[in-house]
Amino acid sequence: MRIRTLLMVLVAAVFFVAASVSVALAQVAFPPNNPSSTELVNRMNVPGDITKGLFWNGKTVTFHGEAIGEVMIRGDYAWVHLNDDAYMEKNVEEGAKLAGYNSGMAVWVPAALTKTVDTYGDYKHEGSIVEITGTFNAACKEHGGDMDIHATSLKVLRVGHVVDDPVPAWKAALAAGLMLLAGGLYWLERRTRNRINPHRGV
Amino acid sequence: MIVRPRKEDHLVIGKYTGKVIIGVGLLMLIPLATSIGFAEWDTAIDFIVAIMACFIFGYGLQVVCRTAKDLSWSHGLVVASGSWFFATALGALPHFLSGHAGSYLDTLFDVMSGYTTTGLYLLQDLDHVSMGLNMWRHLLTYAGGQGIVVIALTFLFKGTAGAYKVYVGEGKDERLLPNVIHTARAIWLVSLTWLGIGTLFLGVRGMMLGQGPVRAFFHGLWVFMGAWSTGGFAPQSYNTFWFHDIGYEVICIVIMIAGSFNFALHWAMWTGNRKEIRKNVETISFFVTLSIVTMVTTFFLAKANVYPDAMSLFRKVFYQLASGHTTTGFSTIYARSFVTQWGPVGLILTTVAMAIGASACSTGGGIKGIRMGVISKALLQDIRRMISPESAVIMEKYHHIRDTWLDDGLVRGAMTVTIAYLTLYAVGTIIGTLYGYPLEQAAFEMVSAASNTGLSCGVTSPFMPAVMKVTFILGMWLGRLEFMSVFALIGYGYAVVRGK
Repeated sequence: MRIRTLLMVLVAAVFFVAASVSVALAQVAFPPNNPSSTELVNRMNVPGDITKGLFWNGKTVTFHGEAIGEVMIRGDYAWVHLNDDAYMEKNVEEGAKLAGYNSGMAVWVPAALTKTVDTYGDYKHEGSIVEITGTFNAACKEHGGDMDIHATSLKVLRVGHVVDDPVPAWKAALAAGLMLLAGGLYWLERRTRNRINPHRGV
Repeated sequence: MIVRPRKEDHLVIGKYTGKVIIGVGLLMLIPLATSIGFAEWDTAIDFIVAIMACFIFGYGLQVVCRTAKDLSWSHGLVVASGSWFFATALGALPHFLSGHAGSYLDTLFDVMSGYTTTGLYLLQDLDHVSMGLNMWRHLLTYAGGQGIVVIALTFLFKGTAGAYKVYVGEGKDERLLPNVIHTARAIWLVSLTWLGIGTLFLGVRGMMLGQGPVRAFFHGLWVFMGAWSTGGFAPQSYNTFWFHDIGYEVICIVIMIAGSFNFALHWAMWTGNRKEIRKNVETISFFVTLSIVTMVTTFFLAKANVYPDAMSLFRKVFYQLASGHTTTGFSTIYARSFVTQWGPVGLILTTVAMAIGASACSTGGGIKGIRMGVISKALLQDIRRMISPESAVIMEKYHHIRDTWLDDGLVRGAMTVTIAYLTLYAVGTIIGTLYGYPLEQAAFEMVSAASNTGLSCGVTSPFMPAVMKVTFILGMWLGRLEFMSVFALIGYGYAVVRGK
């Protein structure tokens, strides 16, 4: 009897700790990337002179962002897209404030490393936040001039989650009211069509 | 003396505008079904609200505007431009209700961009948008490419002489078949055949690239819609850069070039006249101008050493310029890369490609290949006249489905519309520069909007001034309808107020 009680307490404690860690992780605020995707695209060696190239080209960068969409595996490697924008931690469906466009970077990474990423962001999901380290290419020779990061390491900083988007009651009521009105007008149009307009079907 | 429109005029315009808007409501059934299929209930309700709003407006006009009168030319033009106006206002409801738009003005911008096959957008957090709303965005641009009036003609109009006048009002004047409604259906036959084949190719390629079957199918369908309609919308914020694949890019290029061709050319090919593609003034004009801008841009970017090898250089340059010239707006580089990697020369050459644009009576925008062809031929004719004896009669002709002799009226018409486009581009550019944007960036963005292209160098954003948003909306509208219909609407409004 005593052992059973002890086991139950132990299981409860494990659950409590796990839940606390999850909540804590979910509330972690991630510092902005340095460099951010915007900086990677924008910062030139000499402003206004394209012949001098982009500042971060060929440099090793550490970059984190929300894994978005899907992983596209191509043999031993894979493409992952990481968004480091205002919706990285919470998207619009979850109540994030509108703060502009999405922005992010395409990452070429060994396919085996992507197995740890279990959620990719879309309408119904907030993707896992992933940190990678690799070389930034302003125009990648291997990928037809694409701007990308060739990553050598990948770490999941926060596991993604399912996003609910419930229907507000006011919207459902509005839809019902408009349906009634539209139905009424359709009925009226059908009923009065022949009486007023002799050229039916025009 | 300006004649004030009579009650009958209002009734006939109201009646046909109502029919077009009912068509828009019916079109929304497709994204509604998509939302239900993916259990996106909130989005589904958004579409029910929008569909009902369209039906209330459309059936309301049908009840109020009872008339047996048929459309005149001016009615047709007003119905076309008016329908686009109301279809935009009501079509924007799903965007607005989604919560992804900063204001109703932003949603109007996006929907006008969709209908006009422009492709610029202000929707925020696009990467978390629902499947239903994505379907609507792309359907807007696919339907807009064929012409929303064409849709209504196909399904809702039952044999009326006036139908041709609305059809012309939407910026199309080719009559593929003697009956305009049969013409509208022929346009759909061509478009739907391409839709099936294009989606299949893109979908299969998507699966080969590592996409799941469902995503590969929907991405294939939407990218096809964006390419064929020369719209340029894509389901991810990365646009077609998402796929990182030359095969996918080649399929896109084939579809967007096909989409930029005149429907009359498609119909000629469809009915067995294969030689037409080599002889047509528009295809010749397109390939000449595309080759010139590609060569010059490649030369400058090669000098600047932006790309690591010749293949990468050509791949990037040709894709962006083919996209710009066909007025599609797909890109495989970041918007700001036009500024930080292509520089002013790249920006200006892309602007030139966009300004010229696609073929007349296609899904594309811009000045159009046929006008470039006519103006070039007229210039050639004048030069030949100058170097020939005074008594010589110098005639010039061009080939578009059939041979046509150049006359002054034809050249004047081409010049008038070209000047109207150039004026529109210039006005928008000036407004952009007044707000502090560099000249070449302001020109790039305004030409992109008014030629219905949709490439961006980063000027377009949800935070740009409202005046610029309105300027771009008007630019897209005027550019797509080629001025006359919108002028007719303004004239109609003026006549209502000041007519006698």
